[in-house]
Amino acid sequence: MSNLLREIEEQIAGAKTSVARHNVGVVRQIGDGVAKIEGLTDAMLNEMLDFGSGVIGLALNLEETEVGAILIGDCTLVREGQEVRTTGKLLQVPVGKELLGRVVNVLGQPLDGKGPVAATASYPVEKIAPGIIRRRSVNQPVQTGIMAIDAMIPIGRGQRELIIGDRSTGKSTIGIDTIINQARLNREAEAAGDRSYRPLYCVYVAIGQKQSNIARTIHVLEQNDAMAYTVVVAASASDSATNQYLAPFAGCAMGEWFMDNGMDALIIYDDLSKHAVAYRQVSLVLKRPSGREAYPGDVFYLHSRLLERAARLDEKYGNGSLTALPIIETQMGDVSAYIPTNVISITDGQIFLETDLFYQGVRPAISVGISVSRVGSAAQVKAMKQVAGRIKLDLAQFRELAAFAQFGSDLDEKTRAQIERGKRIVEVFKQPQYRPIPVEVQVAVLWAVQNAFFDDVAVERIKECQDRLTDYLQTRQADLLGRIRREKALGDDLTASLKAAVTEFKSAFK
Amino acid sequence: MKISKRAQADAKSLLRGCFADGRLDEGRVRRAVALLLEKKPRGYLAVLAHFQRRLRLEIQRSTAIIQSAIPLSDALAARVRTRLEAAYGAGLQFQFRADPAWLGGLRIQVGSDLHDGTVRGRLERLQESLSA
Repeated sequence: MSNLLREIEEQIAGAKTSVARHNVGVVRQIGDGVAKIEGLTDAMLNEMLDFGSGVIGLALNLEETEVGAILIGDCTLVREGQEVRTTGKLLQVPVGKELLGRVVNVLGQPLDGKGPVAATASYPVEKIAPGIIRRRSVNQPVQTGIMAIDAMIPIGRGQRELIIGDRSTGKSTIGIDTIINQARLNREAEAAGDRSYRPLYCVYVAIGQKQSNIARTIHVLEQNDAMAYTVVVAASASDSATNQYLAPFAGCAMGEWFMDNGMDALIIYDDLSKHAVAYRQVSLVLKRPSGREAYPGDVFYLHSRLLERAARLDEKYGNGSLTALPIIETQMGDVSAYIPTNVISITDGQIFLETDLFYQGVRPAISVGISVSRVGSAAQVKAMKQVAGRIKLDLAQFRELAAFAQFGSDLDEKTRAQIERGKRIVEVFKQPQYRPIPVEVQVAVLWAVQNAFFDDVAVERIKECQDRLTDYLQTRQADLLGRIRREKALGDDLTASLKAAVTEFKSAFK
Repeated sequence: MKISKRAQADAKSLLRGCFADGRLDEGRVRRAVALLLEKKPRGYLAVLAHFQRRLRLEIQRSTAIIQSAIPLSDALAARVRTRLEAAYGAGLQFQFRADPAWLGGLRIQVGSDLHDGTVRGRLERLQESLSA
């Protein structure tokens, strides 16, 4: 209580003494979440402006006689002729572990009704990305729990991997699956007291999505106990374009805190197409010159400066990392549109999802041919590399041959075998949503496929065989799975044990 | 759009021409406006509108508005003038306004610089710091 009294006395003393000096301006025009202000001669770019009554603005256009600012908060409270003050501060959001498990808006204010966020630290929303000296190349994996990705398009901590595809092809699901898998791994490591495991915290940024979608995502995360390791930053479709424009930067600042403090974080921007649209709206209302598809000239810089903030830091600088999984929605599978090509060129690879595959029942509908991970293989678990090294090539060849084989039935033995193997690999990679597979199970199953244990199983029974093999391994061969997990490579001894286990399973599988 | 940009540029150069020795010359302003109205060049109304806006901002920049709860004594007003001229240079216009709503103290605004030493301002700041 005495502390409180002292605090108030200090505040009263502070208010009593000095004459306050402000730089002020007058609102001349207001509309569409943007204000034009005369005066404010000392305003700085991206500076926070105080409009009073809790409304703040961000100075985005500094012109000769006026300042163009975007408004955050209830812009209906702002009137023409109202006084505006500079604050000398950049826009900041609360950061820290206190945010885990919370759903917040672009200013870090809670939206989940669980009371105020107890964070003490704050980070500026716009920050310069770590430079080349502070970075190192990726060498630790992000286990997504999605077999097709972990095997063929591995992602490393600190990487930026784009998830791209048409509407409803399972883009967000990949992100949510990854979050669920991280929560599972974090929980397991905590329960086992494994201090060598570096937990991966997740930030999910929902931009311009329907409120119902966001609510559903949060519900899925809660059902799978993943919220404890996750921060959700929401700027829904009903939020202003300003909030949607700032949301990924706010989420990134929250993720950066983990990176700067030697921890690992994963951020999912869902999605950057809507972000570009929100930025286009803000720019057009600010009367900035428009370019291709009416996007402003700096839309590339908008995404490059955001994604550059994802990095793997050198051990000298804390060894933290921030992995980014931006999502882009394409129209009719057109990856050569403006925003998709921009983001493809910024990221370290992309996972391309195809509508056709999705409706053929291949889910996740990953198109192997044009999906790549440019740096992730350096971080892939060795055991996975051993079993999945050739799988991408096999699958790509299968697609070629399958298209060719449609026109004739006279196929040589080798081609027929390749097609049959390909069909089985496709079946094995099918995976229901929100059910990530542990990496040791992935390794064991892929090893069995590569070593012809699935060749005599009918294609329509592959999934059943895989599920039963998984059950068998998890219940009767838990030690073997544990060894794969710990050793992370298939030595001769481990391979022999795996062979014995799978042979035993196959003898019982009818 | 083009006319508007042209009008803005014309208004800017017109205002620049109204300065003598770094100060706005009222005579030149009046002459410029009269000449514009007499010759009526293309888009002259837009030029005039922009000119008026720039002139307003220019006058604001060189006007000191001094607000207080009660009218200032002559001596105090003179002191305020001298101090402000020392800070912002000669050529300032002064407007003294009294409003009991300020409760006490002075509020001085020159252009977009605001020095708030009023009791009401302090109370507002206290309120902000307590509610933050």
